[in-house]
Amino acid sequence: MKKTKLGEFEEMVLLVVVVLQENAYGVEIKRELEARLKEQLSVGSIQSALKRMEEKGFLNSEFGEATNKRGGKRKRIYTATPFAQMVLKELKEIRAGLWESIPTGDVTLKTI
Amino acid sequence: MSHTIDHQPPQWPVKLMRHVLNHDYLEEIEGDMEEIYLENLELHPVKKARQLYIKESLKLIRPQLLRHFEGKQQLNTYGMFKNNIKVAIRVFQRDKVYSLINVVGMATGLAIALLILLYAQFEMSYESYNPNADRIVRITMDYLDGETLIDQDVETYPPLGPKIKAEFSEVEEFARTYGLDEVTLNVDDKNFRESAVYAADPSFFEMFGYPFIQGTNESIFRDPMEAVLTESLALKMFGTTDIVGERILIPDMDQNLHVVGVVKDSPANTHLKFNLMISFETMYRFDKDLDTQWNNNNTYTYLMLNRPDQYPAFESNLSNLNDQLYELDLLREELVISQKIKDIHLYSDKSFEPEQNGDGTRVIFLVGVALMVIVIAIVNYINLSTAKAMDRAKEVGIRKVMGSTLGQLRFQFFTESLLVNLLAGTLAVLAMVLLFDFFRHTANLPTTFAFLDQVDFWLLLGVILATSTLISGIFPALILSSYQPVAILKGKYSHSKGGVLLRKGLVIFQFSITIFLLVQTLAANWQLDFMRTKDLGLNVNQTIVVRSPHTDELRGKFAAFKSDLLNQSTFSNVALSETVPGLPTSQQSTSTGINPVEALEDRNFNFYVNWVDEDYLATMQMKLIAGANFIAGSKNENVVIVNEEAIRLWGYQSPEQAVGTKLDMWGDQRTIIGVIQNYQQLTAKTNYQAIVFNYSNDFNSYASIRTNTADLKSQLGMVAEIYESHFPAAPFDYFFLDQEFDKLYREDEQFQTVFGLLTGFAILIAALGLFGLASFTVSKRAKEIGIRKVLGAEVGQLMTLISKEFVWLVLISMLFAIPVAYMSVNDWLDGYAFRIEITPGLFIVPALGVLLVSFMAIFSKTLRVATANPVTSLRDE
Repeated sequence: MKKTKLGEFEEMVLLVVVVLQENAYGVEIKRELEARLKEQLSVGSIQSALKRMEEKGFLNSEFGEATNKRGGKRKRIYTATPFAQMVLKELKEIRAGLWESIPTGDVTLKTI
Repeated sequence: MSHTIDHQPPQWPVKLMRHVLNHDYLEEIEGDMEEIYLENLELHPVKKARQLYIKESLKLIRPQLLRHFEGKQQLNTYGMFKNNIKVAIRVFQRDKVYSLINVVGMATGLAIALLILLYAQFEMSYESYNPNADRIVRITMDYLDGETLIDQDVETYPPLGPKIKAEFSEVEEFARTYGLDEVTLNVDDKNFRESAVYAADPSFFEMFGYPFIQGTNESIFRDPMEAVLTESLALKMFGTTDIVGERILIPDMDQNLHVVGVVKDSPANTHLKFNLMISFETMYRFDKDLDTQWNNNNTYTYLMLNRPDQYPAFESNLSNLNDQLYELDLLREELVISQKIKDIHLYSDKSFEPEQNGDGTRVIFLVGVALMVIVIAIVNYINLSTAKAMDRAKEVGIRKVMGSTLGQLRFQFFTESLLVNLLAGTLAVLAMVLLFDFFRHTANLPTTFAFLDQVDFWLLLGVILATSTLISGIFPALILSSYQPVAILKGKYSHSKGGVLLRKGLVIFQFSITIFLLVQTLAANWQLDFMRTKDLGLNVNQTIVVRSPHTDELRGKFAAFKSDLLNQSTFSNVALSETVPGLPTSQQSTSTGINPVEALEDRNFNFYVNWVDEDYLATMQMKLIAGANFIAGSKNENVVIVNEEAIRLWGYQSPEQAVGTKLDMWGDQRTIIGVIQNYQQLTAKTNYQAIVFNYSNDFNSYASIRTNTADLKSQLGMVAEIYESHFPAAPFDYFFLDQEFDKLYREDEQFQTVFGLLTGFAILIAALGLFGLASFTVSKRAKEIGIRKVLGAEVGQLMTLISKEFVWLVLISMLFAIPVAYMSVNDWLDGYAFRIEITPGLFIVPALGVLLVSFMAIFSKTLRVATANPVTSLRDE
C-alpha cells in the first residue's frame, strides 16, 4: 500500500466520522472518540487529524447550520470520501487476514 | 448579569486563536471551543471551565492548524519584495553597460564625498577633545596704521593675562605659554634636540585638559626649571614614564630641569602641540621684569571664562581695557582682540601661529565640491533610468493591467535605486580602504586617523545612501509609474516631453558644475604658477644655507670659515645673517616702535628685523636703490638698511630723501644708510613687509652660500668638509633656499592636488553619464539613421546630426557656468596680494576641454551607428 498513509489515530477518527454520519462535526467526534477510547482528547488533536486527512483526500467537509450553543458559529460536518472507505476496508481486510494467519491455540497472544 | 459574562469564554485565548490560527478554520474551531466551554460550565465551576478553555486553546497551537506566516497571507509585502529584487537584478543584467555606469559613477562619487567629509570632520574637530574649549579664548594683537590693519600677531604682552584675570569678573583663569626655539636636552650624556618646547603657567594643564600619567597637577610649576614631559618624549629620553624627580640637563644654560610630571601626548587636533612644557616661572630668569614688560610681545595668552555665554561681555570689557591701556600709553597703534580657541585652526591665519593652521573656506569649498560630485553621479542615474523608461514601458503597462498599484510600481523602482546605491556603497568603502593611505598623505592627516571603526562614519554613509536612494529613485518612480497602461499596450506611447526636458536640464546642470570646477582649478593653477615665477626681488636659486653650530665658543671662528668658503672658485658669495627669507614666520623676528626722529608723532608699525653682514645684499641679490651698503671693518652699530615699504610707512617722499635721516630705535638713534627694493620675505601670497636690516657679522644662525652651479648637491660635500674642519663637534645642518621657499607653497599645492583630483572625477562621472545617454539616443535612432543612409547621407553628416544635440547642451552649460565662475574666481583671487588678471583663456580652455571630453564620450557610439550597414538596423522588425 504505497499510497497515502493513514495513521492509527487518524483511522480511529475516520471511523468515527463514518459512524456518526451527518452528525460528524468536531465536538461530536471528540465526544464519541473519548467515550470509545476512554480517555480525554484535546480539540487540537482532533482538529489537526481532521485537517490532515482532508488534505490527504480522506475527508470532505461543509458548513452545517449555526446553533445558539456555539455562539452563532457554524458546525463543519465531515464525510468520508469513497477513497477513504476503500482504504478503511483494505485495512480491515489486511488486519483480518493477519488475525487469521495467527497459529491456532495461541489466539489470546501473550500478555505483555 | 453574571450569567452572560459566564457565557463568555476568557477573552485573551480567543484573541490568540484569532491571531495565530488559520483563518479558514477559525469559525469551526472557535465554535467547537465554545460548545465545549458551555458543556464544561454545566459540569464544573466557572473557574475550572475557564481553565479548561485556556488549556484547550493552548493545545490548539500546532503546525497543522496555524496560519501561514509565509506565502499566501504575506503575498503583498514579503513575496513582492522578493520579486522586486529579482526583477531589479534582471534589469541590471539585461544592460550591463548601463548598470556599470550607474554603479561606478555612484561609487566614485560616494568614495570621494566620504573621504572629503572625513577630512572636513577632522579639520572641524580641533580642540573638541577639550571639555573647556567652548569657554577658552585667545587674545592676539592687531597692528594698525591709523585705521588700516597692517599685521596681526598672536603673541601678546606678558602682563595682559594676570591683569585681565584680576579685572574681569567673567574670567576664571589665564594661562600663558611662551614658545622656545629648538632646545638641546641632555640625559645620561645623551643629547636630544627637541622642538615644540613651551613655558607655561601652572593653570595650563587643567585648562587644556591634559591628564597626568605621572605626577599630579597640584602645586607644580610654582618654581623655575620645572618640567612636564609628554608620554612619548619621556619614553624616548628615559624609556619609561616613571620619571618624576629625574633631572634633565640643558647644556646651553648649564642648568637642570626637574621633572614634575608626565602627561598624555598632545592630540592631533589641537593647535598648540608640545613635547616639553617648562614652568613659566623659568622665564623670569631671562627677564625679571616680565610682569611689567610692554615692549616684547612673545607670549600666547589664553583666558578661560566662567561660562561660554559670557563671551560678548568679555569682548566689550576687552574694548574698554584697550582704551585704558591707550591712556596709560602702554599700547600705541595696536589693539588687543580675542578669538575663541575653537576658531583658531580654521579661521586664524596670523603671524607667529604655533603651527600652520587650516583654512575654513577651503574646507567648506571642498565639501561643496564633494557634494557636487555626488550630485553629478545621482543625475547620471536619473538620466539613464528615465531615458530607459521606454524600454520598460511595456513592463509597467503589464504590471498595471495585472492590478499593480501605483505604490507597488514606485516601490519597484525604489528597490532598483536602493540596490544600485548599496552596491555602490560597498564598492565605495572598498575603494576608500584601498586609497586611504594615499589620501591621508595628500590631505596631511595624522597617522592615527581612521574611519572604519567610527560610528559617525557609518552613520554618515547610511544617511548619504538613504538620501541618494530617495533622490535617484524618485524621478524614475514618478515618471515610469505614471504611464497610461492602455496607451502603452496599444503601442501608441512615445517619448514624454517632460522626460526629455528633465534630462536635458540635468545634463546642462551637470556640465555647468563641471565647467565651473574646471575654471576654478585652472585659475588656482595659474595663480600658483604666477606666484612661483614672480620676481621675488631676490634670487633664492643656487643658494645653500648652513645653520650655525649651537655652541658659543665655536661661533668666534666664523671669519675663517667664511674666507675658507670664499677660497673655493664655485662659491661666489657668502653671507651671515640672523634669519633668511622663506623661513616660516616663527623663525623671523619682528619689532614695533621704530620711528624717524623727525616724525611728528610716534607710530607703532610692525617691522621684520634681521641682522646681516656686508655680503648679505650681494648674496641674496637684493637691489639697493638709494644710499650704500654696510662697509666691512667700519663702525656699523648705528646704521640700518631699510626697504621701500618701510619708508612708505614712515611717509618719506622718495628713497633718496630717507637716506641719511635718523631713526629712534630701541632706545638709541640709527641712521638709514641705504634703501633696498621691496622683496618677498615670505611668499607672493602676502604683501610686501616693512624690513629693517641691522649689521652683525656674527655667525649666530645662518650662513648663506651662493654657488656658480645649479647642481647644489655636488657642492654639499665641499661645504660640509669646510664646516667640519672649523666646527668638528657640531652637526652639519643645511638646506637649499629655493626649496625652503617652495615649502611655503606646499599647502597650496596639496589643496590643488585634491581639488584637481575632485574636478577630474567630476568630469569623468559626467562624461560617463553622457556616454550612457548618447548610447541610448543612438540606439533609439538607429532606424532613422539607417533610412538617412539609404537616402544618401554621409557618415560626417550623420555624426554631426547626432553630436549636435549634445554639443548644444554643453554650450548652454557654458552660458550658465561662466558668469558664476567669473565672479567666484575674481572673489577668490582678491585674497592674494599679487594676483593674475582674468583672461578669456581661463574660460576658453575649460570650455574646449569639456567639449572635447563630451565629444569623445559620444564619438565611439555615434561612429559605430553612422558607419553600420543600414540593412542591419532596418531589417530588424
